[in-house]
Amino acid sequence: MSKSDVILKIYTILLLGIIYVPIGVLIVFSFNNSRNRAVFTGFTLENYYRLLADERVWSSFYNSIWVAIVVTIASVFFAILLSYAVTRYDFKGKDILDMLLLIPIIIPEIVEALTLLLFFIIIGIPLSPWTIIIGHIAFDISFAYLVIKARMAGYDPQYEEAARTLGADELKTFFRVTLPILLPGIIAASLIAFVESYDDFIKSYFTRPGGFSTLPVHIWSMASRRGVTVDLNALATIVVIIAIFFAYIRIKMERWM
Amino acid sequence: MDDGYDWLVSYLILRPLFLSIGDLLMSRLEEERKPFHIKILDRIRASKLLKIIVLLAPASIFLAIFFFSPFIIALMYSFNMFKQVVYTYVFVPRISLEYYIRLLDFPGIFVTMQRSFYYAIVTVILTLLLSYPAAYYIGFKLDPKYKSTAVLLFIIPFWVNFLLRTYSMKFVLHDEGLVNTLLMTLGLIKEPIRFLGTDLAVIIVMAYDYMFLMFLPLYGVLEKLDKELLEAAATLGASPYKTFLKVTLPLSSPGIIAGSLLVFIPAVGEFIIPMLVGGVNTTTLGTLIYSFFITVRGEAGWGIGSAAGLIYIIFIMVLSYLYIKLVGAEVQFG
Amino acid sequence: MSTRRDFLRVAFVGAAGLAVGAGAGYYIREGEVLSLRKRVDELLSKIGIELEDNLNIYNWTWYANLNLIEDFEKQHGLKLVYEFFEDLDTALSVIRAGQPVYDVAVISDNEAQELYQEGYLQEIDLDKIPNFEHVPEGFKGLEYDPDNTFSVIYSYGTTGLGYNSEVVDKPITKWEDIFDVDNPDSHIRRYAGKVTMMPDSGETLGAALIYLGYDPDSVNESELQEAADVLLAQKQYLYGYKSTEDYMDVLPVGTPYAISHAWNGDIAGAVYAADEYEVLIERYYEHLRYVVPEEGAIAWYDNFVIPANAVNINAAHAFINWFLDPVISAIHCITIKYPYPAGLKYTPTELKEDPMIFTPPEVWDRLFIGRPMTPEERALREQYWTMVMTG
Repeated sequence: MSKSDVILKIYTILLLGIIYVPIGVLIVFSFNNSRNRAVFTGFTLENYYRLLADERVWSSFYNSIWVAIVVTIASVFFAILLSYAVTRYDFKGKDILDMLLLIPIIIPEIVEALTLLLFFIIIGIPLSPWTIIIGHIAFDISFAYLVIKARMAGYDPQYEEAARTLGADELKTFFRVTLPILLPGIIAASLIAFVESYDDFIKSYFTRPGGFSTLPVHIWSMASRRGVTVDLNALATIVVIIAIFFAYIRIKMERWM
Repeated sequence: MDDGYDWLVSYLILRPLFLSIGDLLMSRLEEERKPFHIKILDRIRASKLLKIIVLLAPASIFLAIFFFSPFIIALMYSFNMFKQVVYTYVFVPRISLEYYIRLLDFPGIFVTMQRSFYYAIVTVILTLLLSYPAAYYIGFKLDPKYKSTAVLLFIIPFWVNFLLRTYSMKFVLHDEGLVNTLLMTLGLIKEPIRFLGTDLAVIIVMAYDYMFLMFLPLYGVLEKLDKELLEAAATLGASPYKTFLKVTLPLSSPGIIAGSLLVFIPAVGEFIIPMLVGGVNTTTLGTLIYSFFITVRGEAGWGIGSAAGLIYIIFIMVLSYLYIKLVGAEVQFG
Repeated sequence: MSTRRDFLRVAFVGAAGLAVGAGAGYYIREGEVLSLRKRVDELLSKIGIELEDNLNIYNWTWYANLNLIEDFEKQHGLKLVYEFFEDLDTALSVIRAGQPVYDVAVISDNEAQELYQEGYLQEIDLDKIPNFEHVPEGFKGLEYDPDNTFSVIYSYGTTGLGYNSEVVDKPITKWEDIFDVDNPDSHIRRYAGKVTMMPDSGETLGAALIYLGYDPDSVNESELQEAADVLLAQKQYLYGYKSTEDYMDVLPVGTPYAISHAWNGDIAGAVYAADEYEVLIERYYEHLRYVVPEEGAIAWYDNFVIPANAVNINAAHAFINWFLDPVISAIHCITIKYPYPAGLKYTPTELKEDPMIFTPPEVWDRLFIGRPMTPEERALREQYWTMVMTG
């Protein structure tokens, strides 16, 4: 290993450490027994008991998950079709389409959310979980499209051509050749789409119906409720532990293979 | 061969599934002796134009209704073409520039714009500088065995909700928070540094919250980097520094562009972070438009807000277009 | 900091077993409570109200005991949604937009009147609120709604200044202390970067106008310009524009800021380290102060209102009725530290005597109560407010 590699390694480990600091703070504060969330006074597990008993946290958690799943499936589906059309065919207005598809991620979310709300109100569509989903899909399509298109453009179409030369028709080629090659891109796109939706606050906040909250919306209202964020620190801690658990399984599986 | 595809285990699990679905569909299609829907499929297969239409239609229709038409409504609203009657909105055939004039009357608007762009640009540069070395190391230098683990480790903190992360940064940057305590214990400073309520806090928190958006695309391109190419450069006598500058950097520019855009866009419209960790002089375009819609009451607020939002969007779009054109062109030459 | 805190956990089940800190010598007889509750139930059954399955409430941050409210939810087997806002501007725009739909909201005096006149509120049926009789006379038929057509009193208070006396050595008495930026001895200069104002147009613009000796509801352009100038000059010495959920936690600690433009009950809540689960009638953070500045201050009455597009109207009335139950109101006061007029009878004397919670009569002389404004007047004021926020 060269000297520069060692420096890079140390830097990477340091950076990884630093990005965990705020998470560590969350974890520590999840055991805080103080009613004032600005100071740590002592250890307690009460926050966890409260969290486990709090139906609202769980229902909003559940809402976030199912909304994100619907959004991910829909937007990845749209994105696969779009990127296939754009990378495999030549047609008029392709560049314009490409630019148009960038717009949803270029424009600031706050503007998008507020105009969408205005639209729903003026057209008279009552707000529902579906209005949140619609809002999320609108920008997740673009995220998924960017990732999948990059993947699709990044590999050699000669695989497809080879398959076709061997007699497979286009649909068959798509399922047998394109899709498998695309899969890492699809998974990456799904992850991004899922996280973008799951973690979205602004759009969910403005286009949600009364009484329906996703986790971020709930967190926001908890924070303005004052004094109860400790529960959410507990929740965050659980999320991190689950994530680390999955990471661990991932590492284990790697060893087996 | 390490083709770089192996970093997600799901790939291996799902691949047979996809293959079998594909097979199933194929055999179905072949077995049936051309019923009506197959004829349609055949026609679609035969015509390129139809194919393109079928591929583009679902997303286009969705986006036209739920993404573009809201802006048309906002455009109409900003020209005062709706009148509010309690909970309903009546279309009035008129065009007035009132809201635009009132918008430009607000003296702070240009300062706010400047500030938003300043935050966003600094955040982009900061996240790029911070995550490039790590992405380079993980994507290019690290043993492929550990790549996925390292990427996971990098992403896990960002699975924690954005708001919670931001709240937690408040503790870190507090006058008596972790950073200040650490620096004071080390004797590097005597008085605590004031972070909260300053530009610095806004930028630090934005950089932290958005770092993974920069990291992922960078990792994506660096991971695919051709090792042989770099070795060739070295064999030809290029110094590591020169190799990096002439080969690695240009090759990773798609990732840099994608990452910069992914970070820049939310950063320039950010309104939560300035609200939570910012101070008095941290009004951004995001907070401004929010306050037009929410604070300024009634029709006028929505009208001015729509006007501001639209101008803002056009501005951003032009800027992004130029950015892509400019940097995109460089990529081709590099 | 206080040395000792005595508290008893209160079992909120049925709100009947209320036992307040024995050390303070305050106690509500259980029998009395039960008979009251029985009477309320009888009244309800007589009217024969059938409640809907849902109820959506929209209230200020830190203004009601949510655990107690969950009790109401369980009693009536409905799905209750409780959401917050931090400034009136937001609440008004949400109610005007009509989305999300709320069944009960808590809105201040004149703003409620404006909403009603614009057609955004429905009338409240007092027959469905037998507990209205527990509202003291002084809080019925207030100026903005003489017949209680669309509003029922919720709480009231003042907007002044709260500060941490461990950090701030010289007491704050006037608006001048935080507005006079030319005087290097003023608090705003000495504690530069440690002062916050509210992100609420009415309150903050009003405070500057009072400091200048004008009516806080002024719509005179030159007066508003002066007020905006004062606020702009003050701005560079501020920490930020912060509301309840922020200053209630920060002030007791005193950093990053130590002086806040605040509502009385919030500071009281912070002083008692109020908690929804505990009855606290002993001050915990003695070093927190609240002052109604000498130049005067804004006083407000908050009210229950029912938005015009509300759907769960019976449940809304039942909720208001439940809240006005003297015991329920008293528990809200004991835990949250805002005064709820309907609960006066059962509110501990210690709290009643606390000027931070119950504004004493001598202060009322220098308080301003708002007047309704036309949309044009509002828009004019908003223009100056936006100038301050973006300047």
